[in-house]
Amino acid sequence: MKQQRKAALPRYGEYNCALKYIVEQGFEAQCVLPPPLSKRTLDLGAVNSPDLVCTPFKTLLGSMIEALENGADTIIMVPGACRLNYFAELQEQILRDLGYTFDFINLSLYNTGKMRDILRALKALNPRCSMVKAGKAFYEASQMVEHLDDTTSLYYRNCGFDPTGTYPKIYKKFIADMYAARSLAEIRTAYRTANDAFTDIPLKKPQDPIRIGIIGDYYTVMDPFSNLELEQKLADMGVEVHRLMNITNDMLRNSEKNKQVKIREFSEYSMGASSTADIWQAQNFAERGFDGLIQVKSACCMPETDIMPVLANLSQDYKIPVLYLTYDSQTSDVGLMTRLEAFYDMVEMRKKVAR
Amino acid sequence: MNTQNAFLGIDVGSISTKAVIIDEGNKILAREYIWTEGNPIGAVKKLLGLLEKQFDKDAWKIVGVGATGSARRLVGAIVGATVVKNEITAHAVGTTAFHPEVRTILEIGGQDSKIILVENGIAVDYAMNTLCAAGTGAFLSSQARRLGIEVEDMGSYALQSTHPTMIAARCTVFAESDLVHKIQMGHPREDIIAGVCRAVASNYINNVGKGKKICSPVVFQGGVSKNIGVVRAFEDLLHCPVIVDENGHLMGAMGAAILAKRGLKRTVFDFSVENMDFVTRERNCGGCSNNCEVICVYRDGNLIDFWGNRCERGAAGH
Repeated sequence: MKQQRKAALPRYGEYNCALKYIVEQGFEAQCVLPPPLSKRTLDLGAVNSPDLVCTPFKTLLGSMIEALENGADTIIMVPGACRLNYFAELQEQILRDLGYTFDFINLSLYNTGKMRDILRALKALNPRCSMVKAGKAFYEASQMVEHLDDTTSLYYRNCGFDPTGTYPKIYKKFIADMYAARSLAEIRTAYRTANDAFTDIPLKKPQDPIRIGIIGDYYTVMDPFSNLELEQKLADMGVEVHRLMNITNDMLRNSEKNKQVKIREFSEYSMGASSTADIWQAQNFAERGFDGLIQVKSACCMPETDIMPVLANLSQDYKIPVLYLTYDSQTSDVGLMTRLEAFYDMVEMRKKVAR
Repeated sequence: MNTQNAFLGIDVGSISTKAVIIDEGNKILAREYIWTEGNPIGAVKKLLGLLEKQFDKDAWKIVGVGATGSARRLVGAIVGATVVKNEITAHAVGTTAFHPEVRTILEIGGQDSKIILVENGIAVDYAMNTLCAAGTGAFLSSQARRLGIEVEDMGSYALQSTHPTMIAARCTVFAESDLVHKIQMGHPREDIIAGVCRAVASNYINNVGKGKKICSPVVFQGGVSKNIGVVRAFEDLLHCPVIVDENGHLMGAMGAAILAKRGLKRTVFDFSVENMDFVTRERNCGGCSNNCEVICVYRDGNLIDFWGNRCERGAAGH
């Protein structure tokens, strides 16, 4: 029998657990996890990338190299709505030029929005595997993603108000459980356990806490390493942190249909990728009376740069301050802290006066 | 004789170090402004020595110390600050205390620039330059050197010009090459200098001030506000008067002192730090793949503070 394939997806927030589930439970192949993102990942990526490409390209490439070093023989690359959709081909070529031998599954070639096309692409992992089984695993992994996103968003909303300091432990355990899960029952149990543990902690939250909404490009906003743990930093200041941008809201549930129509007042046409979703989310946060908005983007991210004037209009109409953060491959967070502290002070003083 | 409470504010920037001592009514008792010269600890010690001479220690007692500026953490540890605040908040607080009616604060320092929008005496929005230091004081200094004049004299040269040279202001690197080109083409020096001042102002408005509604009264501060040429350029571009406070360069330190006054913590500060020996050491934690750079500060050989670690593993125990 042919040896099991060792497949890897470059690090993408904590979503690697879902791919691990599909690969192992659905296709009975092995999943190699690249090491957590680090300065080394970024350096490896940056030195082998075109200079002016966005940071997610470099991070993903670095993570692919680290996956290959960890013994992966098949690299899977996600599709995207911006130029991320073209990343895979270039990254594959760069890796081949570096001399690595591997198989490459480029999901952008199968990006039709239909599950069966994605499964067809992944079938290369194990051609003899049952598609019914794979389909089932795919569905279960999507449940995992929903649970992951729900728990993450609950975590960042509340962990700034946890007097016991156990929130991070519970969350860490939950993430570890997601990586270890082998069945839907295990996923659901871990989800319930974490949520029960969270609910058991009495929060010290003021009546009207400071609420900040975060929007931004698909990768940087969802990946704590890439945004220098922005959400945790804000939560530690005592902020209720909200982020609607995640895989669940943007792909699986997609509950908000016709976003483009809803934001007509601010932008008539889509500017691609996350632009429409971001404007809609910003408007949603503003209408709900949030105290501030933070836009997170990688340097050279075109759609996010394009929506900045729209956000400026929105900021004036709703009287909500917006902090624009641009990330490049820097790893020092001193400058970020200065800006966040100042933003927090400002928002807090505003709120005091409003009361 | 009763001693009254006073508050010290220190603002250590990349280029200059500023400090003020104020009383309960925000009256300035002592002030000083010196160059940092890449040595924040030395600058602060020197600064405290200069302040001590201006200050009547029998009549006043310093009970709160605020630190701000890019070296605020380090300086805060050394002087035992009761408040350590970022420079954006400090500037907003300092300026609104002296100009309660202000709506827009423009600030250009040595390496950074920011804009703060104020409504009813509180900051409601701000922006700071992000990945690029174009159009800050450092650019002006280097161009002054190129033209063979002191940066302090740029303003008076600029005012002599009637036709400021157009200089591409989008990016400092391009601005510089454009400037060299214009010099070689034979543009008069005062026109070039006026053009540079204009370039700084329009670069600021197009980058930092992009999308922000600039309302009058406008207060301009930071080191660059001492350059009358840039002030005139802002007035032309914004079509409104631009106020430059004579203490504009001290506003960050003022804000820090006011924040120390508003804070609840009180410690008596004497000037003994001047004679203490401070050493900083950098060490790589190595506890995990983050490899955090931990900075340790020692006073007379004893560790007094450390930072830079992302988790407890990096805590400096030795």
